[in-house]
Amino acid sequence: MDRHPRAVVVAANAAARDAGVFPGQPLAGALAIVPALRLVDHDPRQAAALLEEVAVWAGRFTPAVSIDPPDCVLLELESSLTLFGGLEALLGEVRGGLASLGLVHLDGTAPTPLAARWLARAGDESATNAHRALDARIRALPLAALADGAGIDDTVLSLLHAIGCRSLADVIALPRDALARRQGEPVGQAIDRALGRRPDPRPAHVPPQTYLARLPLLVPTDRSDTLLFLLRRLLAGLSGWLGARHAGVDRLQVILEHEGRHPDSALEVLCGAPCRDEQRLLVLIREHLERLPITVEVDALRLQAAAPVPLPALPGDFFDDRNLVRENADLLRARLSARLGSEAVRQLRVRADHRPEQARGDAVAGSDASLPAGARPLWLLPQPEPLRTPDRLVLLDGPERIESGWWEAPEVRRDYYVARARNGCLLWIFRELQAPHGWYLHGYFA
Amino acid sequence: MSARPVPLEALPAGLVWRGARLAGTPPAGRPSGFAALDAVLPGGGWPEGALVELLCDQPGAGELSLLLPQMRQVAAPRWLVWVAPPFIPYAPALALAGVPLERLLWVAPDRPQDIRWAARQALLSGSCTMVLAWQSQLDMAALRRLQLAAEQGHTPLFLFRERRVASQPSPAVLRLQLEAGDDGTLSVQVLKRRGPLLAGPVHLSLAGRSAPRATRFEPAGAAPAHRSRTRARFRPGLSPEAQAALQHAVARPDPARTRPAGQPARVD
Repeated sequence: MDRHPRAVVVAANAAARDAGVFPGQPLAGALAIVPALRLVDHDPRQAAALLEEVAVWAGRFTPAVSIDPPDCVLLELESSLTLFGGLEALLGEVRGGLASLGLVHLDGTAPTPLAARWLARAGDESATNAHRALDARIRALPLAALADGAGIDDTVLSLLHAIGCRSLADVIALPRDALARRQGEPVGQAIDRALGRRPDPRPAHVPPQTYLARLPLLVPTDRSDTLLFLLRRLLAGLSGWLGARHAGVDRLQVILEHEGRHPDSALEVLCGAPCRDEQRLLVLIREHLERLPITVEVDALRLQAAAPVPLPALPGDFFDDRNLVRENADLLRARLSARLGSEAVRQLRVRADHRPEQARGDAVAGSDASLPAGARPLWLLPQPEPLRTPDRLVLLDGPERIESGWWEAPEVRRDYYVARARNGCLLWIFRELQAPHGWYLHGYFA
Repeated sequence: MSARPVPLEALPAGLVWRGARLAGTPPAGRPSGFAALDAVLPGGGWPEGALVELLCDQPGAGELSLLLPQMRQVAAPRWLVWVAPPFIPYAPALALAGVPLERLLWVAPDRPQDIRWAARQALLSGSCTMVLAWQSQLDMAALRRLQLAAEQGHTPLFLFRERRVASQPSPAVLRLQLEAGDDGTLSVQVLKRRGPLLAGPVHLSLAGRSAPRATRFEPAGAAPAHRSRTRARFRPGLSPEAQAALQHAVARPDPARTRPAGQPARVD
């Protein structure tokens, strides 16, 4: 792959850093140290998309999320502390969630957004939102922290370094007006913002109206278990997005992008009932994925959700058995339909028609008809079968004459009887009123 | 020493074990709705969360009516799942019998392995009151998986199979052979249960099938016959077979008409 001659390393993983590669290093130098270095092109758009994904996912923790480009997402957690049971518990959930998304991250907690960013970058992960400790924590930061997120250029930093500042405590100790005269005004402002002496409003992240996430695969694959693993990350984002709007989806689309010119494959997932649970959605997608033959390697995954449906928080006990059963019942139906096809999972319906075949349906459950007065069998044959020896039957009840449907295709003119076969079974039989007056078996009183 | 006979009942409990008793007390089952059947089922009813095999070759013997009392108890949000029934479950008859249609899920897979899969999923989901499945071709491993799924999901599975599989071993906790008995009764032979073997079958009278004969026909003998004959006269062009059949009808009771008051209007 051709690269810019003066390309530099943007980020390196732990193994590369151990070998001597560091961010900012010219690529040629890095390759000279580690010839076997695996290079992945830095794509700022992809990084921005990742931040967006994390911001959407973080909607489950707080309504106030803000993206601080190029590499930071800010969460306002103060108002969510009671709900999640304190800062420690909430941070635990955030960290665990990010890890399950497969992301390596740094986090920091502080009463101001800039301080949180600096502390995260400096590796100060102490979970405290106390204002008292803030001043000491800021003072302990190295001078290099100023380079991050405050719009301070390198010349000012090298000036500060040249006059002997090594930590922010040294910078804070400098006389303010003298610093301002030497182009150092942004430094004072940044420190004021970090310490909360100056307002630092952040634009709130607005979650998108429809959910659309794309996950490019570093290594194309045709293994459905790998795809499912990657889908978990997309679903976690979807679940956060839905959680932020108190909504669920009842259908979503998974699109597999293939290498080259092969057209995308799309999976249409119907949930049966509005749902935002990642596990349930994943189970459903698995059924669809297993039915889909993946012949070409998949290059990227896309997840698209239809308009969200309001999904109220479950009333009563969180572990209420009834709600669990209801969710499982919806899930069972959706799973069966996903695997066997929706035409294989039916419900019964009584229809207002005198003709026995037309008095039932199997699309939507329910009954829109009064029930017949005569005896009806539990089993109905799909097609009436001609009876060869009707004289061997004993008629118990009948006839019930059914004449109907002359105005449309299957006209029925029959006399129905309940009959007992020689083996003791009860049958529902009829005799055609038209010639040749044949006897037919139409059902069993099971 | 006096050798006075002591009645067995007077001995302390547990000292003498009698072969006819069930070993241990089985977990209580769901009452089947038939006292005669409950009396022979361990636990006094259908087992909770277990595989029950019903061997039946004759559709129309009353094999579904046996389970109707259970099916009536299905309530939202739980399902009543039928996997691969051999005929169409007839909605008007089920509605007449009081089965909640909106909770009945009729699953019709194409392939045998899908039948097993669907039954297992229904059992494991824990959201079904009971699962009914029709499949004869099952090996021991498949049956064991179904039994395990029923246990895990605490859901009974009623598996309808052909009678010829009675000779094959099965992990089912209960195996019943169903046959149409005389007078519209259903004869239930317990082939396997957790307990000693039973000698003879149990005869169950199913609602609407046999009771009317005893209750109404004898005291008011002429009325139904008269009715049938009247009806027969309205049919001038009957074939000889039909005439013969109708003559039978004259001599037979009319279950639908001779039902005691208060019973639902049906014959099934």
